[in-house]
Amino acid sequence: MSLRRWSVTLLAAFAALVTIAPLLWMASVSLMARGEAAHFPPPLWPASPTLENYRELFGSFGVGRFLLNSILISTLATGLALLFTIPAGYAFAKLRFKGRDATFRLLVAALVVPGQIGMLPLFLELKAMGLVNSYAGALVPWLAGIFGIFLVRQYCLSIPDEMLEAARIDGASEGQILRRIVLPILTPIIVTLALYVFLSSWNDFMWPLIILADQDLYTLPVALAANSRQNVQDYEIMMAGAVVTTLPVLILFLALQRYYLSGLLTGSVKG
Amino acid sequence: MAGLSIERARKSFGATEVLKDVSIEVADGEFTVIVGPSGCGKSTLLRIVAGLEELTAGRIHIGDRDVTGLAPSERGIAMVFQSYALYPHLTVYENMAFGLRIAKVGKTATDTAVRRAAAILNIEALLDRKPAALSGGQRQRVAIGRAIVRQPEIFLFDEPLSNLDADLRVRMRYEFAELHRQLGTTTLYVTHDQVEAMTLADRIIVMRDGRIEQVGTPRELYDRPTNIFVAQFLGTPRMNILPATVAEGGRATLADGRSIALPALAAPLAAGTPLSIGIRPEDIAIGDAPGALPFTIGFIERLGGLATLHLGGRGEGEPIACQWRDDGSLGEGDTVAVSFAPRHLHLFDTDGKALETMGK
Repeated sequence: MSLRRWSVTLLAAFAALVTIAPLLWMASVSLMARGEAAHFPPPLWPASPTLENYRELFGSFGVGRFLLNSILISTLATGLALLFTIPAGYAFAKLRFKGRDATFRLLVAALVVPGQIGMLPLFLELKAMGLVNSYAGALVPWLAGIFGIFLVRQYCLSIPDEMLEAARIDGASEGQILRRIVLPILTPIIVTLALYVFLSSWNDFMWPLIILADQDLYTLPVALAANSRQNVQDYEIMMAGAVVTTLPVLILFLALQRYYLSGLLTGSVKG
Repeated sequence: MAGLSIERARKSFGATEVLKDVSIEVADGEFTVIVGPSGCGKSTLLRIVAGLEELTAGRIHIGDRDVTGLAPSERGIAMVFQSYALYPHLTVYENMAFGLRIAKVGKTATDTAVRRAAAILNIEALLDRKPAALSGGQRQRVAIGRAIVRQPEIFLFDEPLSNLDADLRVRMRYEFAELHRQLGTTTLYVTHDQVEAMTLADRIIVMRDGRIEQVGTPRELYDRPTNIFVAQFLGTPRMNILPATVAEGGRATLADGRSIALPALAAPLAAGTPLSIGIRPEDIAIGDAPGALPFTIGFIERLGGLATLHLGGRGEGEPIACQWRDDGSLGEGDTVAVSFAPRHLHLFDTDGKALETMGK
């Protein structure tokens, strides 16, 4: 290997270490005894590893409930987002109807408006509909994300019209064309979109904080934040909570990252 | 199987009229090729027959059924697209079986139909492959196979050979002809390539600007074009058109003042009437003969055995293309004696319409 390649490899390894170090320390602290992480200098490894923090987290703190809330909301958000976004994106790309392009331009224009600006009006709207403090209220913003529609539409544009026409001649209905021809072709972008929505809704803090008042409905980030206000000094418990929050999505991402990257690259590179 | 009849078809996209009162009859089992330059409306016409576009006015019958308002799948047609349009996530077998599975045809019947089509096209070994693992020619065969499996009354082909390289195109042309002989299905085939039209068709329909210019067998269209457009569209190199005026004694004066003998016209023209004289490059005779005219060779395109001579120097107007068996005896700048036999001449009036001559 040349010197150049060695130095690039070393640089990449260093960058990876810098990136992963906080995660590793998080995991390490979560296994320390109470108060151990507050010493100066903070230790890198637990003197005697313990699962006490996790026991307390799932026991008296009841993180299991919040974990389930998060899983439920993120799964539903992902499912619903795909249900609405894929047909919408496909229709904007491939079906002919009046006002199609004008509507799409309007949607894309709305992309530049920061989500936070819409939160208050959305909250008032949901309040009027009686959806505040419910799972349904927490799910609404994920139903049909413009970014998702845009992503699906762009990908669908690369499907040749002739292929859909061939299916029409073969006797497939529009629904069958979507299910049997378009969906399989869209697989990489669907996985990307599903991961994106799942990660975003899992990590979302602001909207569940606004819409959910009942503690029992809290998602993990909201519950951990509420807890951190009570236990500012308990680094070990906090880190155990952080591990519980991070681990599921980390595993999910690592398992599907191949699709995620290929999905994000499509459209820019013909594949 | 069935014939196809298109009556007074009109199609507009917004203010643009792409089909202007087109009527076509295709007999049962006939191989008809629609040919014309791009933008002439030929593909639109095919898509209308397929049911992928709606007619603005007119009717379409397949056999004795009026299919004008029917969905594509109810028309009894199968279409092969220029891009093949195979389903990339399905194997060759699944691609070919797709239509039958949608129609809920039984497993055994589907399997029989797919294997029969695969045998006809010699693609049995490819059935488990995905389209991405096939060459252009193989994809084309699968697309045809998908059409055959449907056992349609009419095959529609939209420029199916345009994406293939020249070699493969010649071979597939032969295979199309062979396939038609074997299946005998009524076929409507669209192309911009006049060689495909000439070699494949029982009948050719020449289109221009949304209208039909002429319909006939390849031979009829080649020998008796009804206008200059058809005359020049079919044949390579294309027919030479020489502007001239009618002179006394059954002769015409060319633009350069020289005169040649004309064939006898069915309706004689007065001397001084302008007309266009058409002659195909292979009909021009080189060599001394009574009435031969001297021409300078401006340029020679050598193709090996044959060569195309471009007669007439620079600045002498449009050169005349002339086919010549290349024996190496002629060079650029040489002067040759050229004769135009009256029986090979095509005469057109100032509107480009063919003038009837005796004996044609």
